[in-house]
Amino acid sequence: MIIFDLLGMLLTAYFVGFLYYGLYRNITARFQRRIGPTVLQSFFDSIKFFSKDESTSHGWMFYLGPVIMTTGAVMTLFFIPFFYESESFRGLSQYGNLFVVLYLIMLGPLGNAMGVGVSGSPFAAMGITRGLTRMFAMELPFYIAVIALMSINHSADIATIAANQTTINAFAYPLLFIGALFSFIAMMGNSPFDVVGAPVEVYSGPAAEFSGKFLGLLMSQSSIMSFAKLVLMVNLFLGGAGGFIELLVKTFILFLFVIAFGSIYGRFKTPQSVDFLVKVPTAIAVAGLLLATLGGQ
Amino acid sequence: MRMFTIVISILTLYGVLDLSVAPASWHMDLAKIGLENIAIGVHATALSNFFALLVAMSFMIISITTYHYKLSKGFYFLLYLLTASLMLIVYSADYLLFFIGWEVMSITTYLLLSYTLTYKALVKYIIFAMASAMSLLAAIVILYSGAHSFLYADAHHAYTALSSTLQTVFVVLMLFALFVKLGMIGLHYWLVDSYSQSHDFFTPFLSAVISKMAVYALIVLLVQVIDIAALPNTWIVYTLALTGLMSSIIANFKALNEDSIKRVLAYSSIAQLGYIVTVLSFADGMSGALYHSLIHTLVKLLLFINVAGIIYMTSKSKFSELGGLIYRMPQSFVMLLIGIIVLAGMPPLAGFASKYLIYNTLLEHGNLLILSAMMFSSASAFLYIYKLIYGIYLGHPTSKKLESIQEVPLMFLIPQYLLSAILVIIGTFPGLLTGYFNTILVELGIKQLPQEGISVLATQNGSYNGFIVIAAFMVVFMLVLLILLSLRSKVKEAKDRFDIAYCGEVPNEGTHLHYGYSMGKELKRVGFIATILKNSSSHFYEYLSKQLFAFATFFRKIYSGNLSVNFNIAMIFLLVLLLWGLK
Repeated sequence: MIIFDLLGMLLTAYFVGFLYYGLYRNITARFQRRIGPTVLQSFFDSIKFFSKDESTSHGWMFYLGPVIMTTGAVMTLFFIPFFYESESFRGLSQYGNLFVVLYLIMLGPLGNAMGVGVSGSPFAAMGITRGLTRMFAMELPFYIAVIALMSINHSADIATIAANQTTINAFAYPLLFIGALFSFIAMMGNSPFDVVGAPVEVYSGPAAEFSGKFLGLLMSQSSIMSFAKLVLMVNLFLGGAGGFIELLVKTFILFLFVIAFGSIYGRFKTPQSVDFLVKVPTAIAVAGLLLATLGGQ
Repeated sequence: MRMFTIVISILTLYGVLDLSVAPASWHMDLAKIGLENIAIGVHATALSNFFALLVAMSFMIISITTYHYKLSKGFYFLLYLLTASLMLIVYSADYLLFFIGWEVMSITTYLLLSYTLTYKALVKYIIFAMASAMSLLAAIVILYSGAHSFLYADAHHAYTALSSTLQTVFVVLMLFALFVKLGMIGLHYWLVDSYSQSHDFFTPFLSAVISKMAVYALIVLLVQVIDIAALPNTWIVYTLALTGLMSSIIANFKALNEDSIKRVLAYSSIAQLGYIVTVLSFADGMSGALYHSLIHTLVKLLLFINVAGIIYMTSKSKFSELGGLIYRMPQSFVMLLIGIIVLAGMPPLAGFASKYLIYNTLLEHGNLLILSAMMFSSASAFLYIYKLIYGIYLGHPTSKKLESIQEVPLMFLIPQYLLSAILVIIGTFPGLLTGYFNTILVELGIKQLPQEGISVLATQNGSYNGFIVIAAFMVVFMLVLLILLSLRSKVKEAKDRFDIAYCGEVPNEGTHLHYGYSMGKELKRVGFIATILKNSSSHFYEYLSKQLFAFATFFRKIYSGNLSVNFNIAMIFLLVLLLWGLK
């Protein structure tokens, strides 16, 4: 039954996502020589947000913003198969290929942008501008790498690309992987590309107006989305996964790398991050694409 | 007059639909009236029916919106004449009638624009339109010299009979003429001003239909005259691909810098046509080009009519003067939301279907860098697309007047409902039109699209199921909404629009809160975007006009209008002739 399949995917992503988010806070704390919160703290936080007595709303569009964002995250998850050969946990991936996923990733943030815009907070709109600006720059190296993979495998199907790797793509096409990895760090909203949320020093960012259950929903979708992106990256570059253990190990390694990278480097300003992303990772990815496609002939 | 226009438009649509069912053609040899070697004709092929359908449909839709405008009889008459000339362009079977249609189109557009355009914008338009027409005429004459026939049927024969130099000249002239009409970057100097200053009710037609005539002409040129399928990797292919790509990237960034809504949409038109031109460089990109032409026509009608409604109600046309209209105009907001989702090419709606075809064509041909650049361009469009909805409907109202505005009148909403319904249906069933497009592709002798049912859009590389995507989206959306609503936590509406988190301060009437409309301007700090924004073709054209003026001033010194000077010049001229004759 596809319903149970989808439910299974959703629950896995939800809990693993929160687990990873907790680990993120914990590991970052260790990098900074703090002890940090317990691993389940983020999960408790989201439950607390959901059970708040009151949350402020700015009309129906404000209400729909987080809902569309969550829908976008869940849809992205459904179109990415967890395992390359299994009949289960492949969700709706046979009904849409990588092009659909690449666009679904952007659906949520755009939907939420409507909710943020209607709240009328100029600082929140500032966060959206930063997000959209960073978005097109961060997509470029990722697109190049993904398109190269699609061309090499003669398929835009994620499961096929995952299954086709005798040596995993990260080693077979290292330049493509490095280029895509920069984008991936930005997509995960991690430093040095985390100016959108700018959680510490500026009272801004898309979440500025959301409170109570809206914030809880945004937190939940963020963990689902993070896990979906990790699975996508594992499928494309790390050889996919045959079972749950492999999936968890591979996603965790990738996640650990992203955290470590983010803990070391400082934050770019928006124009700086755009400038960096369209230059260095893009050049690496283009070189990788040329090597991969011309070398094959 | 308004009802008459609606009746005429419905009759036109009926006529076009009737022709699509029963194909017809008419030919005439002008030798009978003393013009040897000239045959003209009209025919209703599947391709011309498709474009005629776009014209008739757009004509009908904009004639509904005329209900609220007081336009002179002359305006209506010119509109009918324009539509007739467009029909002549798409139905003609030879380049002679095509040119007549093209010329009438350019002139009637000029006259229609002359109602509202400033002198400068009007001069820009007519110079470019005439340059386009003259270059088209020259190209047609060159082609005629090949086989002494204007008919499309002989065109490929005529083209191959030309010497290779003449072939190059022909293609360059032809592409120049069409690129001017498409407003490809560098030749778009006239377009943005004309679009933004034209009458609000006429702009949808201008963007949705008139630019499509150039797409039609380009398809005829590439398929029936040059036969692009037989010439992969020639300079023609690269010119098309790169021109389209550069146009879409540059126009998308240029749109960021604009404050006027209609100027943003004008740049967006350039970008979308850029995708079409790029994909037309491959013969089997025709399916994507046709699909995208249809979607672009529908979505630009929707967006421009929406904007016309806003301008009608508020008489403001800039982002900096609007804002916060969402709860005053909820229906218009939803229509614009559908419009921008399609324009962005997001999956649940129709915009994704045509982009999907375009991307797949590029992937199949291994043009990976062009594909990456095009997807990048498409992603960079999100910024102005968001600005479009934020600047008008979200944020805060910028003046007192906007707080008491009403929803736009029904006659603006009816066409928008119609268009967005079509866009949603096509998005849900992207394979619905595959059969129809295949009839056109068969006629042009191009590889067909695979058919796998109405909800699946299939290509050689794979398929996606529009119905599953939209159904899953709706189900997940409803479930999440239900969960959110069923939570114990209460929702408190904000007191007023100033009830926001604002760094611990309390904003009031005097606080400027709607500055988000200028989003994207900070991108000037990024190197390559600054280069795009700083440089403009207007510098070149201004330089050109300055030089022309200098030449005219010099010429005026000789040809001063003084009779004795003229007489002297004539005498010198005669003397020269005499000396030459004696020698």
